[in-house]
Amino acid sequence: MTDPTLAERSATHPRPVIVDVWAPWCAPCHRMAPIVERLAGEYEGRVDVWKVNADEQPDEVRRLRVLGIPTMIAFRGGQEVSRKVGAGSEADVRPLFETAFSGQAPARRGIPSDDRLLRLAAGTALVMLGLTSGPSLLLLAVGGIVLFTAIADRCPVWQAIRPRLAALIGRGSTASPEV
Amino acid sequence: MKYVNEAGWDRIVRVVLGIALLYLGWAGMVTGGWGTFLKIIGFLPLLTGLVGFCPAYALFKFRTNKTAA
Repeated sequence: MTDPTLAERSATHPRPVIVDVWAPWCAPCHRMAPIVERLAGEYEGRVDVWKVNADEQPDEVRRLRVLGIPTMIAFRGGQEVSRKVGAGSEADVRPLFETAFSGQAPARRGIPSDDRLLRLAAGTALVMLGLTSGPSLLLLAVGGIVLFTAIADRCPVWQAIRPRLAALIGRGSTASPEV
Repeated sequence: MKYVNEAGWDRIVRVVLGIALLYLGWAGMVTGGWGTFLKIIGFLPLLTGLVGFCPAYALFKFRTNKTAA
């Protein structure tokens, strides 16, 4: 008879669970610890946090299909509902807690309207300046990039490739567990 | 947003200033060494304004957006 896995234990647990996979040698994990603690305090009684030391529980890490740490997995009724790989800010981690608690995927965060307006205005000004001064390819390129950042959250092509780019970049901020 | 340390007015001022400096440099209003200087330095307020983060503010633990987290 083997011990129940974390996922099995979370199924019988009265509250949703965030499994936080970390290791003592993992610097990004230490950076994340105060953020997770703060959110755990905020969601106390609604969401529980279970810490998993990757060095001490390699079998569990394998079962959870963790490829890099820190990794945080939200379980609700024994089912994984969300996962976050790599370090991030409180704003990045909070949706995980919210998803674990509510079971609903977080609303997609877009660019605030005043921010969008500022980028559109600046991008347009740069493109105009680029066209009238030469034309200057540098100004046109910078203006184009600024304009793109103003509408990137509404661009379906960018939304499709963004997770892949994030995964590529994320590899730089995650450590591979020695399991 | 966590890393934003500039208020809305601050960002607008920076963007307008950046565009103005770039205009002076790139449109040929100022030529020579100063023109080249403006062509480059104009990107600084523009970039910090668009991003909303000023490294100098962060260095001196100063911020103009008092209400942001």
